[in-house]
Amino acid sequence: MLAAASAAAGSVLLAHASDDLSEPVLEAALLNWTTLPYIAAGSIAWARRPDSRFGRLMVAAGFAMFLSSLQWSQTDVPFTLGMAFDLLPAAILLHLFLAFPSGRLERGAERTLVVAAYTAALGLQLVKMLLWSVQGRNVLAVAEETEAAFTVEDVELGLLSALCLGGVLVLVVRRRGLVRPLRPSIALLVDSFACGLVMVAVLLTAGAFEWPAFETIRRITFLVIGLTPVAFLIGLLDARFSGSTLRELLVRLREEPAPADLRDSLADALRDPSLTVAYWLQDFGRWVDAQGRPVDLPTEGSGQVTKFIDHDGSSAVALLHDPSLADEPELLGAVTAAAAIALENERLHAELRARLDELRGSRQRVIEAGQEERQRLERDLHDGAQQRLIALSLELGRLERRLSGDADARGRLDRARREVAMSLEELRAVAHGIHPAVVSGHGLAVALESLTVRAPVPVRLDVRLEGRMPERLEVAAYYVVSESLANVAKHAHATLARVDVARRDGGLVVEVLDDGVGGADTERGTGLRGLADRVEALGGRLLVWTPHGGGTRVRAELPCA
Amino acid sequence: MRVAIAEDSVLLREGLASLLDDAGFDVIAQCETADELRLKVDSYSPDVAIVDIRLPPTHNDEGLVAALEIRDRHPSVGVLVLSQYMELGLAMKLLADSADGVGYLLKDRISDVDDFVAAVQRVGTGGSVVDPAIVSTLLSRQRSDDPLATLTPREREVLELMATGSSNQGIADELVISLRAAEKYVSSIFGKLGLPSTGSESRRVLAVLMFLRS
Repeated sequence: MLAAASAAAGSVLLAHASDDLSEPVLEAALLNWTTLPYIAAGSIAWARRPDSRFGRLMVAAGFAMFLSSLQWSQTDVPFTLGMAFDLLPAAILLHLFLAFPSGRLERGAERTLVVAAYTAALGLQLVKMLLWSVQGRNVLAVAEETEAAFTVEDVELGLLSALCLGGVLVLVVRRRGLVRPLRPSIALLVDSFACGLVMVAVLLTAGAFEWPAFETIRRITFLVIGLTPVAFLIGLLDARFSGSTLRELLVRLREEPAPADLRDSLADALRDPSLTVAYWLQDFGRWVDAQGRPVDLPTEGSGQVTKFIDHDGSSAVALLHDPSLADEPELLGAVTAAAAIALENERLHAELRARLDELRGSRQRVIEAGQEERQRLERDLHDGAQQRLIALSLELGRLERRLSGDADARGRLDRARREVAMSLEELRAVAHGIHPAVVSGHGLAVALESLTVRAPVPVRLDVRLEGRMPERLEVAAYYVVSESLANVAKHAHATLARVDVARRDGGLVVEVLDDGVGGADTERGTGLRGLADRVEALGGRLLVWTPHGGGTRVRAELPCA
Repeated sequence: MRVAIAEDSVLLREGLASLLDDAGFDVIAQCETADELRLKVDSYSPDVAIVDIRLPPTHNDEGLVAALEIRDRHPSVGVLVLSQYMELGLAMKLLADSADGVGYLLKDRISDVDDFVAAVQRVGTGGSVVDPAIVSTLLSRQRSDDPLATLTPREREVLELMATGSSNQGIADELVISLRAAEKYVSSIFGKLGLPSTGSESRRVLAVLMFLRS
């Protein structure tokens, strides 16, 4: 503060004492208009966010602009200093505007621009000063080559002007690439950066070509540059008092029922459409979204930043947001505080969903493993015992033919053969009970023919399937029909039944209807519970209508996925 | 009569081959896979191909596919399919186009040597063979309005034999009746069931099976 006040006072005194200035009051006022607001706004930002470098940079820019006022001095050394820093403001403003909001230059191109600007403003200026003594006031001059000095000056002004326009281009490109729309006050600030740089470029060009309106342009430029800190202060205040979105969020969070997607409400409140909310599931050791799907936390430089929200001392929720939100810690803090309970609720939901998914997956795996095991057993029976018994019975048959003379031996061989045939019959029934191989081998349509023909009541079979379906679906559908027809036989006292199988939405719909007594017990004895398990494990559902006296209708819907 | 066999169990394959050899057949090929059978049929064109319905590599429908393909490409080659399970759907699939020179038997039947040999002979000469178990399942099927109720017990026996592929002479021999009597029963059954009379015995098989299934 003190430094700023003394610098301001110094500049006013210098302006008054100067012989070069036609309107010392106006000049001093203009100078202070471009410097003091920077120092003031920078100090406020510095105090509020000590970790952000932007405030410090802004204060530095303010003081740097004071330095150029030293050239109003009548004494040679301060004049020389002032002249050396005459064009520094152009470079430092470019630096400041490109370093918003973090105070750092994030990209290589930006750094190149700024380094080039400093080099031109200080380096070329020094070269110029070595060649031109300005009527002996410049103590750095070693030669008096004014022509060369003016050429250097033209290059210097042209280069700086071009660099400022480059800075405007960077600002435009950067704004186009934004994920999160800028807050109106920040948009205004960035516009003021662009305007300032354009004006500086115009001013430098005017200087190089010695336009007659130079003085007017200079004053306008100073006016415009001084507006930037004002826009910056508006932005700071706006961040502090953007309470209306927060109130809206609170109203939405209190709605009954709670908003379907908390993320959308938060994204609206934070104006960040890229927002992702991730929940930590301690038991699973991973981050997931509200649907229980795994989420990867962003790494450094991935274009997103993570804010962790603690619950009971450990991180339970993470907001993955646009880096620009880091400049509005008040907003982020207020929104997360308002949504804390809703977020914890949602986290518990996500945990529940993850557990359900896990359970569903394990049920499916158990049933599939069982299925595979049964298939293997059936194959073993077929390739082993059944083939051997058939070969044995073939051998007995041939032997029987050979012993044409011995009626007793033939009779005994025939009995043995019948025994083997019965064993085969039983084995076939066992194997079929373990796994309906015909379904795997030849498809549902073929397998259902025998099933319905053997049923104890007349069955009308209607299969509308082209080609094969995934085997697990066909097997499940087969069990639905076989179990339902067995129930019809045992409990329904029906005179007729119908089996309809059709493809629907890529999946399979199976219906078994009868005209029996209905009122089937869906929990015990009918095997319907087991069927439901099998169908549900495939992500499908089993529906049973069984009104007393109204027949029974079993419908299985099996999705393909 | 020249026979090709496709069966992946060595025990059964060799048993079948020597059985047929004993019965005077000329076993020209013993194959382990469906592809091998296709090759042998293409080059030797036997009178009959005996095919196990479950063949490597997947033991699903390789045998049936090969049988249907051989029927398609070599109409003169009879195809006798042996199945470990008794499936109406498979029999109907095999007989769908025509029953000429086609047989579907439960694998166990090979131990009834005489019947089995007769079946191979029948398929080899363009006749048809349907496993009696298939036919009796169809006959025992529950129906809401049973047209079979009008048949006499003897007519039902004749119908059953017709459906398995027996000729009129075969029916007469089996039931120990005269050929003339067998023919009378057959035409009486066709009249009662309202079936159009057909020429060949294999067409008759298909007509009866379709009637029983519907």
